Amino acid sequence: MKSGKKKEFNYINVLQILTLAALLLYMQIAVSKGIISKVFLASPSDIVKEGIKIITDGTLLPHFLVSVEEILVGYGIAAVAGIGVGILWTLFPKLEEYLNVFCAAIMAIPKVAILPLLVLWFGIGFVSKVVLIFLFSFFTILYSTVTGAKECKASYHKVAMVFEASRVQKVFTVVLPSALPTIFTGLRLAAATAFTGVVFSEMQSAKAGVGYLLSEAQGLLNTPRVFFLIILITIMSVLFVKFISLIEYSVCHKWRKL
Amino acid sequence: MPKIQIKNVNKTYEDPDGNPVDAIDIINLDIEDGEFVSIVGPSGCGKSTLVEIVAGLQKQTKGEVFIGDNPVTGPSREIGVVFQDAALFPWKTVKKNILYGMEIARIPESEQEEKLQQYLDLMNLKGFENKYPSQLSGGMRQRAGIARALIMNPKVTLMDEPFSAVDHLTKCTLQEELVRIHQKEKKTVLFVTHDINEAVFLSDRVILLSPRPSVIQKEYRINAPHPRSRTDDYLVHVASEIVADISRGAITQDSDYII
Repeated sequence: MKSGKKKEFNYINVLQILTLAALLLYMQIAVSKGIISKVFLASPSDIVKEGIKIITDGTLLPHFLVSVEEILVGYGIAAVAGIGVGILWTLFPKLEEYLNVFCAAIMAIPKVAILPLLVLWFGIGFVSKVVLIFLFSFFTILYSTVTGAKECKASYHKVAMVFEASRVQKVFTVVLPSALPTIFTGLRLAAATAFTGVVFSEMQSAKAGVGYLLSEAQGLLNTPRVFFLIILITIMSVLFVKFISLIEYSVCHKWRKL
Repeated sequence: MPKIQIKNVNKTYEDPDGNPVDAIDIINLDIEDGEFVSIVGPSGCGKSTLVEIVAGLQKQTKGEVFIGDNPVTGPSREIGVVFQDAALFPWKTVKKNILYGMEIARIPESEQEEKLQQYLDLMNLKGFENKYPSQLSGGMRQRAGIARALIMNPKVTLMDEPFSAVDHLTKCTLQEELVRIHQKEKKTVLFVTHDINEAVFLSDRVILLSPRPSVIQKEYRINAPHPRSRTDDYLVHVASEIVADISRGAITQDSDYII
């Protein structure tokens, strides 16, 4: 709540909290009393215990770092390349005309279907993950950059023209700044899908990473750990998207109402 | 020698079916150095098209436009343009917006700063230079839009309905300021508006365009010294004459499709 108003008592919020508490309580009782098998459901207390255990005994950290590194490298390359190629397409429309069909074709492939091929080419380690994350994010970022650039107002183009801006000047001083909001929308979408990519590929074929840990826990029927990792991955994903929003805010908040 | 010469200019578009549509039939117009000329006419009569042709933003189908001795072949810094909605860049501060032309022309920063102060003064924008357009009123935005065009010291200034989006009182103030600036700088101005009173109040000459395909229907020389009074009998009379002529033009033209 950003508003300066004092928050009013809201019975809907209370109801929501009660519902959640009831659900957790039911999980706790159902599992501990044996109404539901421990294989299918984990009690909240077991989830917390398992979480503390894998954090303190050092099981989680190396896997966590592997996933973070894969995400940062894969997504980072996709962001730089997506915006970079978007700028090139904007500067040289012929390039877009030539490459668009290939990009559209690769984009149309469900990325997870390429994973077996990536594993054959790059092995089950770091590189195949980075390439998959790249494929997951690159096209969204590229097309949001190009779309944003195309949506630049005609009047802005005219202003650049009456001051005799060169094509490069026009793209960098007018077209790209006006495309920033659309570019950031693409970056945020891509951040969420990049997470899907990394977890999926680690579950399929890897020797490290949070996704690997998750599929291992499933194999060992360690349901509390599965639950804990799902929660962890969700939080990581949300934080990552928030991080992108924070960058957007720091770049645009002065002139846009975010 | 006239400052702006519009010679036999014709503009024909192709509609989506590929049929030619005449926007401007044929227009000849000479504007003297330092003259303030307004173009009025019914909406869709090609006023903005004509201004964009003079600005070099659109290509005429036939004819030629000269600024001084030079034919217009494209946009140029010698032709200042003030746009309808100010068209400021929302991501730049007022200062950066006003200096945009100088940034593009790579003029040294010391010179930019000096000019900036001069035009902030001229347009009463002091204290607003670090604001963003979204933080300004419509009137303030258009002041910045005018400053952005004038700071480049163009030979002629074209204004395409610059005050159509601001409220009436602000509009009156801006008109008076425009008169003051024009009296001071004596620049050639071509001003497009659909507001007859505005045209009469500001101009040395008012050009009435006919409905499409447009020709010059009539010219009115406004022989009154500045500062003018809006309620001056002579100005009111000229304005009502223009209004009468517009409706006459509309009747003869519209009769085809009214019935």
